[in-house]
Amino acid sequence: MIRDAGGGYASSPGSANVLSGRQGRLKKSSITRRLIGTVLLVEIAAAICVSGAVLAFERRAHFRTFDIMLRGRADSILGAVQDAGDPGDNVMVDKTELNLPPDDVYEVRDPSGRIVGRSPNWDGPPDALILPHEDGILSLRLGGKPYRAIRLHGVRVVDPGDKGGGVPRPVTVLYGAPTINVWRAVNAAAEFYAAVNVLLLLITGTVMAWLLSRSLEPLRVLAAEASGVSVNSWSFHPPESALALKELEPLAVALESVMQRLERSFMQQRRFVGDAAHELKTGVAVVKSSLQLLAMKPRTPEEYQAGLERCEADCARMEEMVYEMLTLARIDAAERPAATLVPSDIAGCIRQVADQFSTMASLRQVNIVVLAAEALHVLIRAQECQLLVSNLVLNAIQHSYAQSQVTVSAVSEGDEVVLKVEDRGEGISAAVLPHVFERFFRGDASRDRSTGGTGLGLAICKAIVDQAGGSIEVQSNNDVGTIVTVRLPLVDPA
Amino acid sequence: MRVLIVEDEKRLSDNIAGALRDGAGFAVDCAADGEVGSYLASGRFYDAVILDLMLPKLSGFAVLKKMRAEGDLTPVMILTAQGETHTVIELLNAGADDYLSKPFDLGELIARTKALIRRGKGAAHPKLAVADLEVNTLEQTVHRAGRLVDLSPMEYRILEYLIHRPRVTVSKRELLEHLYDYNWEHHSNVIEAHVSNLRKKLDAASEQPSIATLRGRGYRLIVDRDTPE
Repeated sequence: MIRDAGGGYASSPGSANVLSGRQGRLKKSSITRRLIGTVLLVEIAAAICVSGAVLAFERRAHFRTFDIMLRGRADSILGAVQDAGDPGDNVMVDKTELNLPPDDVYEVRDPSGRIVGRSPNWDGPPDALILPHEDGILSLRLGGKPYRAIRLHGVRVVDPGDKGGGVPRPVTVLYGAPTINVWRAVNAAAEFYAAVNVLLLLITGTVMAWLLSRSLEPLRVLAAEASGVSVNSWSFHPPESALALKELEPLAVALESVMQRLERSFMQQRRFVGDAAHELKTGVAVVKSSLQLLAMKPRTPEEYQAGLERCEADCARMEEMVYEMLTLARIDAAERPAATLVPSDIAGCIRQVADQFSTMASLRQVNIVVLAAEALHVLIRAQECQLLVSNLVLNAIQHSYAQSQVTVSAVSEGDEVVLKVEDRGEGISAAVLPHVFERFFRGDASRDRSTGGTGLGLAICKAIVDQAGGSIEVQSNNDVGTIVTVRLPLVDPA
Repeated sequence: MRVLIVEDEKRLSDNIAGALRDGAGFAVDCAADGEVGSYLASGRFYDAVILDLMLPKLSGFAVLKKMRAEGDLTPVMILTAQGETHTVIELLNAGADDYLSKPFDLGELIARTKALIRRGKGAAHPKLAVADLEVNTLEQTVHRAGRLVDLSPMEYRILEYLIHRPRVTVSKRELLEHLYDYNWEHHSNVIEAHVSNLRKKLDAASEQPSIATLRGRGYRLIVDRDTPE
């Protein structure tokens, strides 16, 4: 319906094809069709009710007029009752002055039931109908045709000029007329109303279809805009017409934010792949160039020895980088904390890591202080818990001043475990701080490359913490030191 | 010849620098990020720039665009690692002269860098000849009138630079800038001593002088033997 009405999607024939292909398989319902159908149904029901009421009213009005006419004619019959001038002192209906429609029937009787006068086209109703009853309207059927009749008891004063005021003569008049013409008028009215209603329905249907197609135009524009989005072109700007519509605005805004989020994560992913390729190729280039440099000219055994050691160190760095990339990929691919996961004790983890780095710390004249007495369990694999703590502690040791102290603490705060790694050292500059969790980001090229960082350490920490539903943040002051705070949900040991 | 390497992977730039020093006899400076690289390149002392794309602070692409916007015509060799945002076509169109994909062959990098420098100075062949003087930049050998002349590395470098610009007067300052890297003490009398030795060695094999000294202006190879200065 939408496509028929507007001939839409002309701007994107591809999507229209897809759409029609889908239409073939699935019977689609249309809001437009449903709305028009509903409105027309309501309108038909209303038309029937109104027509019925109007018809009833018309019928009543017509019959009231008819009854008044009947009474008038009956009265004129009454007026035509005269002294018959016969010895029986009877009355008669003087037909000479009566001008009545030929189809009408009448009968006049005196109280004794004697027929005073009668229309020639009628042989009279049964007596029961005429005499004992009150005045009133009754329906008859004469010669197969419906008649409506009035019964009127009247008193005709004959010779009012005589002495004593004349002789009052009570008579009963029954006057009937065919109702066919009334019904004809009522039917004509009914036909008129029906015709008007049908016309109204047609106009309403057409106008509604046109109006709906017009007001659904923003939806089509929105769809066309959305169909233009692809992996290579994420630009999605909700059309003004869609934003101006109260009903469409939430959809347009939601679409826009979804596209933006998708684009961001897609770009992030793409950048990660690009960065990873760059890092790996650079790593290979280092190893290859080291070997080629060594082979460029004859060298002394000592030079070869030193060169080979450098090559081995280069290979070790490559190995570390590949390992870290795979770790990151594994954490990224893992499910959200699974119920089957065995919780790890982060305090135990800290003590283990502190042990592990004690030699390195003493070489750099850094003292590691562990503040984690009670066992605190978090929903992270033991291996990753170790990785998280060791990455943070290693960073702290590497960026500490000599003779300073690295404090690693873990305490429970409500339903959270708060892990803090604090160092006194060169810190991180404000310009670099917002980027420290970015993959392959290095604060300062010359420094971090020389310390062998891959730029993935903190990114791995963030991935682990995110996976466990926690948070990680870094506070740092240049030349004062850095505090990394990790918050993780506390769980019961299994 | 002096080459600038802008590469944040220190081990890689060390290796390239080592190869260019040992293999080609070039003076080499290294920059670890785009900002330092851009600053060094703006001095215009370099005969070629080797530029990595993914650099901290300022990307290689931005460094390249800045160089070209400032009218710097120094040949630029890009080191790429496919998967970067800029395609090779974009890079070449932005003013890069050549590119190599990582991991590359060190020998190829040296050869391409040499070719870039040669082309940048208007020579097509690695063997350059002026009058009876012949310099083979591949073997780093020098012949005068068909006879081999044995030169020290520094003397060879001075001659190589001069023979790339045969009709131009080259100042001492220019020689200093293009033959020594930043880690060298700059003394112009070092150049004078080397040029003096070079002239002696070259002229020993011939009766004609090879290098003219233009007082206060610099040195020039004597191209036209019939009208010596």
